Amino acid sequence: MKIGLEVHVSLPTESKLFCSCRTYAEEPNTAICPVCTGMPGSKPVLNERALSIAVNIARALMCKVPTATSFVRKVYFYPDLPKSFQITQKDGPVGVDGKLFLEDGKEIRIRRIQLEEDPAKILRQDDYTLIDFNRSGTPLVEIVTEPDILNEKELREFMTELKSILYYLGVDIDRELKADLNISLSDVRVEVKNITGTKNLLDAAKYEIERQEKAIKSKQGIIHETRSYIEKEMSTAPSREKESDEEYGFIFEPDLTIYSTKRTNPVKAVYASKLAKEYANKYKVKEAAMRELILFNRDALALIESSKGKYDMKAIITAIELLQRYVKGKSRTSSETLGKVASLVEKGMYPDKETILQIEAGKDTNLGGNAASTAEIDKEIKQLIKENSALLKEYKKNTKVFNFIVGSVMKKYKANPRLVSERLEKILSSFRQ
Amino acid sequence: MNSIKEFMACDKPDGYAEKLLSELRKANERLNAFNNITEHLADGMPFSVKDNICVKGVETTASSKILKGYIPAFNATAVQRMLDNGFSFLGKTNMDEFGFGSFGINSENPARNPFDESYAAGGSSSGAAVATSILKHHVAIAESTGGSISAPAAFCGVVGFTPTYGAISRYGLIDYANSLDKIGIMARSASDIKYVFGILNGPDAKDTTSLDIKYKSENKKSIILIDQLIKNIDKDVESNFMGFVDRIEGMGYVIKHRSMPFIDKAIPSYYIIAMAEASTNLAKYTGFKYGFKNEDFTSNYNKFFTDARSAFGTEAKRRIVLGTFVRSASVKDRYYSQALKLRALLLQELNKLLSEGFILSPTMPIKVPKLEDVKKLSALENYKMDVMTIPPNLCGLPHISFPYAYKNGMPLAAQLTTSHGNDNAALDFVQEWERSFKYKFKYNIGELR
Repeated sequence: MKIGLEVHVSLPTESKLFCSCRTYAEEPNTAICPVCTGMPGSKPVLNERALSIAVNIARALMCKVPTATSFVRKVYFYPDLPKSFQITQKDGPVGVDGKLFLEDGKEIRIRRIQLEEDPAKILRQDDYTLIDFNRSGTPLVEIVTEPDILNEKELREFMTELKSILYYLGVDIDRELKADLNISLSDVRVEVKNITGTKNLLDAAKYEIERQEKAIKSKQGIIHETRSYIEKEMSTAPSREKESDEEYGFIFEPDLTIYSTKRTNPVKAVYASKLAKEYANKYKVKEAAMRELILFNRDALALIESSKGKYDMKAIITAIELLQRYVKGKSRTSSETLGKVASLVEKGMYPDKETILQIEAGKDTNLGGNAASTAEIDKEIKQLIKENSALLKEYKKNTKVFNFIVGSVMKKYKANPRLVSERLEKILSSFRQ
Repeated sequence: MNSIKEFMACDKPDGYAEKLLSELRKANERLNAFNNITEHLADGMPFSVKDNICVKGVETTASSKILKGYIPAFNATAVQRMLDNGFSFLGKTNMDEFGFGSFGINSENPARNPFDESYAAGGSSSGAAVATSILKHHVAIAESTGGSISAPAAFCGVVGFTPTYGAISRYGLIDYANSLDKIGIMARSASDIKYVFGILNGPDAKDTTSLDIKYKSENKKSIILIDQLIKNIDKDVESNFMGFVDRIEGMGYVIKHRSMPFIDKAIPSYYIIAMAEASTNLAKYTGFKYGFKNEDFTSNYNKFFTDARSAFGTEAKRRIVLGTFVRSASVKDRYYSQALKLRALLLQELNKLLSEGFILSPTMPIKVPKLEDVKKLSALENYKMDVMTIPPNLCGLPHISFPYAYKNGMPLAAQLTTSHGNDNAALDFVQEWERSFKYKFKYNIGELR
């Protein structure tokens, strides 16, 4: 099985790719101008910020980035395309021959990365169609892979790694991801076009793999075709588009020029997946927990990096979880705050919301002291068990009681819930024996 | 003192504008210079705008049925700069549909030559040239892709200037072939043009290809004649032109005869690039948001688009078909890519010649033709009429057409080409010529007495 992808991600720019319209507006057809509606006489002017982001994506995906990049016209007729051509890239894309590594180090080759404009949005109603040009001309980057993805697991991993790399470049693609999926189990290639969102992409792949497997087993055969994904049914169906390679008649976009990629502001790529592995090994914590924490969390990563080696990494992870749970609306917690919380956790304490907020506000002078000893915790647990002995007989079925006891002990001693749970389990099982 | 400044400074008699407009409307009924004329002419020097250049709130059709009713929501940069500098908008001038033509006949009502109405005005900026030829105080904003300023200026006996590619912003110009399109100026004297060029040139944030350079006037006092161009043309045109060359020699210029490699490839290269780009520019006319449209919205979009696109004229359709062919994947290398290489080669060769002096030629290979006769020409015969105007246009070189003689009551014109950025040298040369040669006009609408 071979899977290749074309992923379209929209770039987080304030204005569109070739005009100064906003990239988003609530009311349809309000963020529009003569350029993005293709009015005769208008001319495109490149948004250099978008070029900069595209070049940084190409660099992060380890592409060869040519010193100069240029645009072409791709001509086709469709109601969402106001000029009847899309300004995109062909011979001078921002990047070629890149790569992305999966968790186990397997390399997926990136064929090319190009910058282009998004068409308008079509809203199909029962017996008519509406067009919203707000989206027309918003910047997209298309990432094309070689067919190196061999199964669903690799596809999922690829998407996670890609999204994490893009996340750290400031490109959040969860909402606006669009992809074309090339998938072949035999030597016949099937393309599933215009899939929106990662979940649909994975579902479409799953369906398509099963469909092709069945077709091969039943000797029905597979035909080379373009299909589309039907979200409601979680299936794919042949689309009405022609099978032949379309004739786009590409020519150089003569209203634009050749742009240097050297002028762009380089942003250093962050490979959070690789860092998670490194930290997990170095600080003896689970890689999965580390990935969970930093793949899509630049604050968490910054905190870990700023506190390297000073505290036990398990305490750091707990402290970050606590800070992110309680200190909302603050994009960045200081490493000083993190240090204080982590040192409490290290001592076996589990600070509550009030404590965290006090630390954050700098009013933490009386938080010293030591955490409760295991003996103290055990004593408290036993006392509570005595008070609730009737209910506790069925504690396996009644988690409420269990949680009540854990909560009470936690509150009294600012104890770590994991520790309290462990002790409680132990005591309860000794009772039964 | 230049005549524009003089006109702007003097007091106009009462009712001047009304009289001008009424005389102009009357003349326009016969000559078809304007697609529309303003209702109210403000104070200031009147200027006309070729109908492929956007004027806010004024119907702009590029003389195409498919753009009927298109009213731009913005001014072209060139128009805005004129308005900001004391010029008054007079009207939109007639042209070959989208600029496709050398005689003005690809328009619903072709413009007529003011010297004799049975003769062609030239194209594609036919109306701009006619307007300049009939209005005493006026400048025309025109546009050239392959000779659309030189040709009509020559036939209507006015001065037509096409600057270096990128000198004047194309923002607001309805594209024919973006890498070749140049907004330029027509007037009754080189000095008027120089004044307007000073206003219009300069960079524009809305046009990426606009230039930010200083325009020079360098003159080596040498004139280059490209022999291949002067052979094989109308014999009268050739002999009159050689007589003119003698006069130039008399003005102290050294005349040099040169032959130029690849010059025969200029016409095919030009038409391939121009049509390839035109076919993409014309793709947007699908009858959706403006202009001609099918009122039946029930068909599928392919049929809807096809129906709307039937509104194109024959020459536009021809260029869409040919242009789509030359850029299609299977033949692109043979045509479009080859033409781009030839353009670069031709520029190299022209630059070699221009390092020695200015290039001079007749503007057109024929005398002013009768409208009847040009209608009989095949498409290929039509394209060959651009033999003199295409080389500088293909390479974006500044050039100027100006009358040098009158034969049987019709003007004969020459075209001078200079190097990139040496635009003022072309204008200064013609100013020098104008000191010893007085242009003739049949109309002087708006003359101050």
